[in-house]
This record gives sequence, C-alpha cells and structure tokens, in this order.
Amino acid sequence: MLYSEDRILTTHAGSLPRPDDLRKMVVAKAAGEDYDEAEFQSSLRDAVSGVVKQQADIGIDSVNDGEFSKINFTNYVRERLGGFEKRNAQDVTTYQLDMTSRDRVKFQGYFEAIPPRYTRSNMGVAVCTGPLTYIGEDQLKADLANFKAASEAAGVTEAYLPANTPGTIEHWMPNEHYRSDEEFVFAIADAMRVEYEAIVDAGFLLQIDDPDLPDGWNCLPEMGVKEYQKYAQMRVEALNHGLRNIDPEKVRLHVCWGSFHGPHYDDIALADIIDIIFSVRALSFSIEASNPCHEHEWNVFETAKLPDGATLIPGVIGHCSDFIEHPDLVAERLIRYAELVGKENVLAGTDCGLGNRVGHESICWAKLESMVEGARRASAKLW
Amino acid sequence: MKHSTTRILTTHVGSLIRPQEIKDHLLAKISGDYDKDGHGAALIRTVAGIVAKQSDAGIDVVSDGEFGKGISWSQYMIERLSGFERRELSEGAADPYASGEDRQRFAEFYKEMDEADRRASRSDGGVVKAETVCTGPITYTGQADLQRDIDNMKAAMEAADVAEGFLPVAAPASAIPDRRNEYYSTDEECVFALADAMRTEYKTITDAGLLVQIDDARAAVTYDRMLSRGASKADFLTWLAMHMEALNHAIKGLDETLIRYHVCWGSWPGPHTTDVAFRDIADLVLSINAGAYVIEGANPRHEHEWRVWEDVKLADGKVLIPGVISHATNIVEHPELVAQRICRLAALVGRENVIASTDCGFAQTPFHQRTHETIQWAKLEALAAGAEIASKELWA
Repeated sequence: MLYSEDRILTTHAGSLPRPDDLRKMVVAKAAGEDYDEAEFQSSLRDAVSGVVKQQADIGIDSVNDGEFSKINFTNYVRERLGGFEKRNAQDVTTYQLDMTSRDRVKFQGYFEAIPPRYTRSNMGVAVCTGPLTYIGEDQLKADLANFKAASEAAGVTEAYLPANTPGTIEHWMPNEHYRSDEEFVFAIADAMRVEYEAIVDAGFLLQIDDPDLPDGWNCLPEMGVKEYQKYAQMRVEALNHGLRNIDPEKVRLHVCWGSFHGPHYDDIALADIIDIIFSVRALSFSIEASNPCHEHEWNVFETAKLPDGATLIPGVIGHCSDFIEHPDLVAERLIRYAELVGKENVLAGTDCGLGNRVGHESICWAKLESMVEGARRASAKLW
Repeated sequence: MKHSTTRILTTHVGSLIRPQEIKDHLLAKISGDYDKDGHGAALIRTVAGIVAKQSDAGIDVVSDGEFGKGISWSQYMIERLSGFERRELSEGAADPYASGEDRQRFAEFYKEMDEADRRASRSDGGVVKAETVCTGPITYTGQADLQRDIDNMKAAMEAADVAEGFLPVAAPASAIPDRRNEYYSTDEECVFALADAMRTEYKTITDAGLLVQIDDARAAVTYDRMLSRGASKADFLTWLAMHMEALNHAIKGLDETLIRYHVCWGSWPGPHTTDVAFRDIADLVLSINAGAYVIEGANPRHEHEWRVWEDVKLADGKVLIPGVISHATNIVEHPELVAQRICRLAALVGRENVIASTDCGFAQTPFHQRTHETIQWAKLEALAAGAEIASKELWA
C-alpha cells in the first residue's frame, strides 16, 4: 500500500470504460450466449494493456485493469462460483433483496417513472442450491497475467485488483442450501478466499468492494440502526474469515452506498458504521464522500480515528452527475481530510467505479484528469 | 426584501415542475384547440396550490412556479413582445441553441445527451428547431398575461398567508437568446430596445409589491458560446458589460430592494468544463442595481467558488442567495451538507445577508424537468431542514 509521502497520490474505485467490441463479448459471455473465446482473450489483453497505460499517462498512481473481464463488479462471480442455479426472477420465491427498498418508501413515484439502470441486464437470479466452490481459476489467471504484463510495461507505482465481498454476493444470491445466513456468508468467504489470495500472491494490492456494508441498510428498510450494525458486523466477520491469511497491508477496502442514481434519502450515516468499517482486516479505506448525501461526512473524522498505519481514500470525484468536478473543489476536499487525518495518510479516490456510471467515456477520463490536477493543487498547498 | 434577521430564510430559483393540467392547456394552445377560460381557471387553482405547497415545505420566499409561462424560462418573451418572428429551421440546419466550447470538447457525450433530451420531451409538441429574428420595433405586449400572473400570485400568497413572493422574468441578455437582429442598425441598439420593453414587465411586478427575479443564465453561458467562435475572455467581458448596462438601464429608478438578480451557468447536465469562473464576472454581476444576487453554487463545477466571497465584498444591505441544492443529480442533499454550505458563506458575508436557495429551476420549460417531482420536493424539504440546522449553529 502507498502513503502520500511527498504529495497526495491518486487512485480510483474500479471500473473504467471499455472498448465497444470487448464490451459486447463480455455481455454475451455473461449471458451465456455465443462468443469467440480466443478473440475475447486477445481483445481483453490488448484493452487491459491500453487502459493501464492510459491511467498511468494521466497521472493515476494506483491503477487497476478497469475490471475489463467482468460484466460488473458483483455479477462477475456468477462465472466464477459453483453451487447455484440461474432462474427467472418471477420464479424465485426465496427472499430477494432490493437496494432501493428504503428509498421506495418516500419515492415510489420516482422509481416507477425512472426504472433503475441496474435492472436492465436481464440476467435472471442466481439461487444457491448446493455447496459453493470457486471455479473461476482460468479467467482469474488470465486477469492476473494480463494485468501483470500491462502494469510492468507501463511502470506503474501501484497495481490493485478488485474482488467482491461475501455480503454483496449474498445480496444478489438467494440461499436455498445453507441452514443459516451466517453459514451461507462464511461459505461464500471460503470460496472467494481463493481469488483474494491469488491476487495478493500475484503481487497486487487486493481491493475488496464492499458496498453491502452500507447498502444492506437500503435493502432492509425494517431494520433500526442497532440491529443493522449487528447484521453488518456478521458480514464483516465472514469477510475477515476470507481474508484471514492475508497481511492487512495488502488489502484496501472500498465502501460506497450502492451507486445507483436514486435519491439516497435515507442512507445509513457513516458515523453509524465507521467502527465496523475499521474492523475489516485492511489498512487502506476507500469511502464514498463526494456526492451530496455524503459530502458532509468529512466531519466524521473529527472524532473517528484511522487505525494505526492506515490510509484514507475519500471519494473526491463522483459518478452521480456528468458535471466535471473543478480541480479547486477536489483540492479543497483533499485538504479538509489531510488536516484531519494527516496528509501522508490521504489518497485521492472516486466515489465508485466510473466506468458505466457516467454519461460517456470522455466524462470518466475528464473526471480522473480533474482529480489528478486537484491532487496536484492540494499537494502544492500541503507541502 | 426580507433579510435573515432571526434565522436563515429559504427560497429557490423559481421554476417548478408543472402540473399535467397546465401542460395539457399549453399543448392545446399549440394544436389550436385552446380553452382560454379553462386555462385561466387552472392557473388560479394550481398557482394557489403550488404557493401553499412551497410554504408547507418550509420555503419562505415563494414563486408561482412559472406556471403562467409558455415555451421556456427565456423564450416565453416571444409571446410578450412585438418585433420578433420565429422561423422554423430545416432538420439539417445548425441548431443555434446547440453550440459552445464544452459541446466541441465532449461532442459524443452531447450527442447522447441531446438524444436523451429529445426522448424526454417527446410529448412536448411545442419543440421545433427554430431561430428567432427581430424584424421590427420591440415593444411590450404581454400586459394581460403579466397581470394575470401577478393577480394569481398575490391571491395565492394571501390565501396561504405568505408574506414574500417573487416572479421570475428574463434579463435582456437572456430573453429570447440566440436571437438574430435584422431590424435595428446594431445589436447594441437591439439590446437596449429590448431592455426598454422589458422594463414594463419588471416595473409592473415591483409596482404590484412583488419581488422580481431577473434570470440571466446567458450572462455566464455566453462565455462558452463565444469561446467556441474564437472570441477571447476580454471580448466576452466587453459583451457582458454592455448587457449589464442594458439591464441597469431597464431597472433604472426601480426599488432595488424588490429586485433579485439570478446568474447560473445553464442548467443542462453536461461537463461544464468551459464555464467562466465566477471570480471573472463577480464585479459585473454585482454592478447590477439589485437587492439580492442569486448565484449557482452547489454543483461540482462551481461549489468551490464560495471562496470568492473571501475577497469580493457584498455591498451593505445586499443579500446573497447561494445555490446550496442542485438540480443536476437525483441524490437528495443531506441537510447537514446544506448547513455546512450556508454556514461557510454566513461566516464571510454575515448570517443576516444569506438566504438559502437552489442552483436553478427544476423545470426549464413546461415540458422539460430536471428531476422527478418527488425529488424536487425532497430537495426543497432538505433545503429547509438544512437552513434550520444552520440557524441553530449561527444563532447559538
């Protein structure tokens, strides 16, 4: 992991815009439709090489592979886990969670008028019907090899790869096999451990994408804060079980409140979950912080203390609008955090993956460039 | 004009999402099957409703939602002025509205945005690609519509027991934007003739005891347009100074404590990378003889500009009405964020001189809204809740 020793370093939360031809093949593959595997692997290799170089060229210090092989940050695990079957949504009677449940209490009309984008994929529901196993070694190996070659060629400062959490996988996979929620999420953790350890063994920083830690709250509108904290704590214990063999210095945790473009009127407050976030076996914490329902929460760090040796990566660029953040706004946000937790412990990040969440790929890159320029301006003031 | 003497007051920029019945009457007007009396009755009823609803949501200084206007916040003047002709453009002709440096930089993004916009306003019926040309002397002819809007607003305020309200109007720089002049010998002459005519609207509103809010997005947006045509910042500032002079000419002698001046950078949800910096135009904006300045400040391209008030002085007795709520995202601002934005400005210009507001209207035309109606109201409620938190801190 990196510290901002002589300037504010930069990174981002995950997905980046991918070339059209590759995207079409990724979508076909995820949907179980025909695609040319050799052509896919070759396009993927070239695209990863290009996107790593592009990140390095614009001045991103900690880069990733843009999540190019994955249909998205969570559903990719359907291609990597065994023990579930795919069913049509209307045939699933097992309890299903909806990330917009809490917002729907007040904004039913909004959700009826504007169907959320994330339901478009028509991928059916994955239902756990047997023991979960990791079966994604082939694509995982290809991802590691592609990223290794690309990051070495580009000479990057730090290379990270994201992987999904037990809690998020649980959100989208009703369980008909395991006897309890606890047994289920720990089984997910055991299966995903293969991926976590392989990423670290390959020499990369592991980013755990953990939107479920806050957005389980949105899925479970009947819960109060205390009950939810217990719910989230158990999911973190399962995650830590999956991370048990990994040095926390090799792990970055990314938390956001589910990046859907809805009102987020009743998201759980960061203050209510910050201790749970810090109980994850990680030493670097990437937290959504720039959108208007969470921007004020920089003040949580007036009292909450970062774990010793930990770094904070606040989102200083958001995906909720296509306005490009002004570099002076980015700098102002970074300085605010630097004053609270120490400049060497702050890296600039994004609220969530920008790849599919902003209007066009040109917006994504302009936002990242603005982040780099903002970090430069903040550094000039802080050093 | 009220100041925030005992707590932070709240307002917004004016345009609110129109009820379906108002849209139906406007569509009927376009198609020729117009029920004027029915439209008039619907306006009385819906303006009364929207004023009461704003008050219930905790908004202190309310508007009529611009329910009485057709076409858009700036083009409505075509229906209230003589001397202009609207000429339909062929499908292939360049759209005078769709220009600017940001559009050139992000051409593919804007292509997709325009397509989505067209889909969103398909039910419009009134949207045609057209240019507006000045072909004769400009005079104000909108007295009847204007008086109707004033009467509706005053009746609604009385019924809802609301003490202060405003009617939004367009500034000379923004009224019928992208117009072409074929009649006056210079563009400047045309602008001053327009200002003379618009004065009737401004004066009638203040004479009626209502606040007038003069909307001037084009004061800022024109920089981006001129840049794409090869002009320099100095050229733009010359252009702006002339238009500021025209506006001051139009409001000469009117009670400035009844005038709010609104500047934003155009409310479209694009990257806005070539917006002119507020710092570059602050002096000219503040040269307008208004009692209050309503300035966009909650979107990520302009949020940092609160710091401009560290150096720029708000004249004694004037009010700053910053945007602390944005129309550019469906995410509802947290009241704590609203309070933070208010408090940092109150520390710079004085708490009694800050009234909390939105960045821009929620519907730029009767048929084009920026958010869903449920989001609009949640945002206005968040504005009021944030102002309450800020008031507790500032009057602690």
